Amino acid sequence: MSKFLKAFLFASVILAPFAASAVTVASWGGAYTESQQKAYADTYSDPSSIVFENYNGGLGEVRAQVESGSVTWDLVDVLPGDAITGCDEGLFEDISAEIAANAAPGPDGESMAEDMENNGLEYHSGWDCCVPQIFWTYVVFYDPDAFPGEKPSSMADFFDVEKFPGKRGIHTWATGIIEKAMVADGVEPNAVPTVLEKQTGALDRAFAKLDTIKDHVVFWSAGSKPLELVKSGEVVMAIAYNGRVGAANLAEGENFEYIWEGQVLDQEYLCLMSGAPNRDAALDFMWHASTPEAQAEQAKYITYGPMRASGIPIIVNNEPWGPGGVDIMPHMPNTPERLAVSIVSDPQWWSDNGAEINERYAAWMGN
Amino acid sequence: MLLRSVDDSQINTVFPNTFEEYKKWDKEKDELPPEEVYRALFEELAYGDKIQVGRALTRMNYSKSGWKSLIKKTSRAIKKAVKKDELPDNYKEFLIEANDKWADPSYWYAMGQMVNNQTSIYYWNAIDRTFDEELNVVQQEENRRVYVATWIKTLKVSIYVTIFCLILGFPVAHLLANLPLRYSNLLMIFVLLPFWTSLLVRTTAWIVMLQQKGVINGVLVWLGVLNDDGRIAMVYNETGTLIAMTQILLPFMILPLYSVMRVIPKSHMRAAQNLGAKPAMAFWRVYLPQTIPGMSAGGLLVFVLAIGYFITPELVGGKDGKLIGSWIAYHLKTTLNWGLTAALGAILLGFMLIFYWLYNKIVGIDNIKLG
Repeated sequence: MSKFLKAFLFASVILAPFAASAVTVASWGGAYTESQQKAYADTYSDPSSIVFENYNGGLGEVRAQVESGSVTWDLVDVLPGDAITGCDEGLFEDISAEIAANAAPGPDGESMAEDMENNGLEYHSGWDCCVPQIFWTYVVFYDPDAFPGEKPSSMADFFDVEKFPGKRGIHTWATGIIEKAMVADGVEPNAVPTVLEKQTGALDRAFAKLDTIKDHVVFWSAGSKPLELVKSGEVVMAIAYNGRVGAANLAEGENFEYIWEGQVLDQEYLCLMSGAPNRDAALDFMWHASTPEAQAEQAKYITYGPMRASGIPIIVNNEPWGPGGVDIMPHMPNTPERLAVSIVSDPQWWSDNGAEINERYAAWMGN
Repeated sequence: MLLRSVDDSQINTVFPNTFEEYKKWDKEKDELPPEEVYRALFEELAYGDKIQVGRALTRMNYSKSGWKSLIKKTSRAIKKAVKKDELPDNYKEFLIEANDKWADPSYWYAMGQMVNNQTSIYYWNAIDRTFDEELNVVQQEENRRVYVATWIKTLKVSIYVTIFCLILGFPVAHLLANLPLRYSNLLMIFVLLPFWTSLLVRTTAWIVMLQQKGVINGVLVWLGVLNDDGRIAMVYNETGTLIAMTQILLPFMILPLYSVMRVIPKSHMRAAQNLGAKPAMAFWRVYLPQTIPGMSAGGLLVFVLAIGYFITPELVGGKDGKLIGSWIAYHLKTTLNWGLTAALGAILLGFMLIFYWLYNKIVGIDNIKLG
């Protein structure tokens, strides 16, 4: 056994007593986990039985726990690509039968899978091990005060440094940016995943578009960064996680504007660890956390949209749904008119090609 | 963990027959592998353990993007056929029918690098090399070459940071060791306070100081040294990385230097000058040699820490912020390519050993002292 695993085993032995009684959910921390705590745990029949623990994403720790045979987490909140790989590798348990039997149906009796398909999603193997959480999105935002005259409104504007001079904040990995570059290059947003998958040379096209703003870019790698960059005037526009922008607008009195065109929606899942110490309790919590009601509830605390289609009417029909009596839908990424100009990121394509594209992206950044 | 950098046995337990048949394929003669290979693959996908196949998929995708969905889609078609009890007469045709990528030799060539229990591919990948169809080592496609440049950058940054720490740390340590106690205690607090402060806080503070609309640029513009469009880019580039890392690692240089300098008797310098040396000469010939153990300890400490650094560079380095530590973390967490992770780690360890050996040759390892 490797040293890494031994160290992990040791740490797990120390931590085991704490994990034994409650369902441990590994999630991203910050405002996001807080919203999960309020929307899922606090509304659960036994709130004290759910304990959230922070992790930094990725499957590294998950695989280390499963391979060493000492699993301390029960549920993990993951990106779709990790849901797919984790489920394929058996790091997450295949519970497709249980999901079909126990997951709450939609209001018209549609199954959870159908409910998600109604939201424009396609089946992938992550659905066998995981239940849906929320849509989040890579969105461009700006401070309207930075543009006294005409304001940018499209991806083409984001990539047009002549018309809107100033630096752009973009992240240091490729997901989301590649799709945006395609939109700026004239591809219909909804068609981007297909073009990327089918058209040879599509990637070259995206990188050629990225070249045009190369000298006007500030790169960020932590989610809080783009807000600081725009607020301090270091950049005039930036790509950010929409929840961060929503929080700044709703809680900190900022007045940021979004460019919804070309936003890249990504998914978020709650998956069951193989060998989870509290399997049954964890399953029960999964059913609760994936009801349309619970998903809509989460929108009260963070501007991420329900992945189940039937969660959206709950919000729309009960506005003002946001904190302090504000309407929340104007801040949500998945309204019909915004979805019409959005890209739903294709996790299967990214899990096929992500490693290679990220190397290329890093080489592009470095040159 | 190091073993993982050469181990390829898992996938060989999943596709033993396919690989065995594969080795018989005469690439000169036939463009595509013979029927037996297709048949073995069909059977091993049809009756193999789902989870083992899943783990093999992750590995296969490192050799060529697209393996994952190719195998998954094919598996689905195969399982359907097996369920209906409709075994094909011609496996090759069946697979190509299921997915035309099976008629694409590039996938078959990519399989060549996994058919043995041991592999050196991860080490080659770690220095931007890969295998071609004949399994010769060739350069990675040009637009994917990142690791060599990153290795050079990592070494460069670590060496610079070590040198800067030495230049800045030496006078401070000297003051600490020679000032009267009440001043030196205060000074010591100035050294230790940042040392105890969270890494992220210090990093963020540097961003506030250095950014274009930040404190330093602001003051310079206000003083009229710079005009408003001439603000200097001091952060989100290599300069920012060097400044922030130097400040963060400085205590690791100062403290060993200090503890060594403290015990150098003051009488040595006086004696040297008494015997006719100018102060500079006395410092050079008498004082400096006695601080070498402290410089060595501090230098090694700073260098070792710097070479594996990645959080600070990622935050302040912008596009230049990806050092080798970032890639190790990326492959460990995101791509799950633990073979490459291990290879990168092993090379890093190799560098350390080389530096250690060089150091031992030049300075001598007995000469290191923390006080």
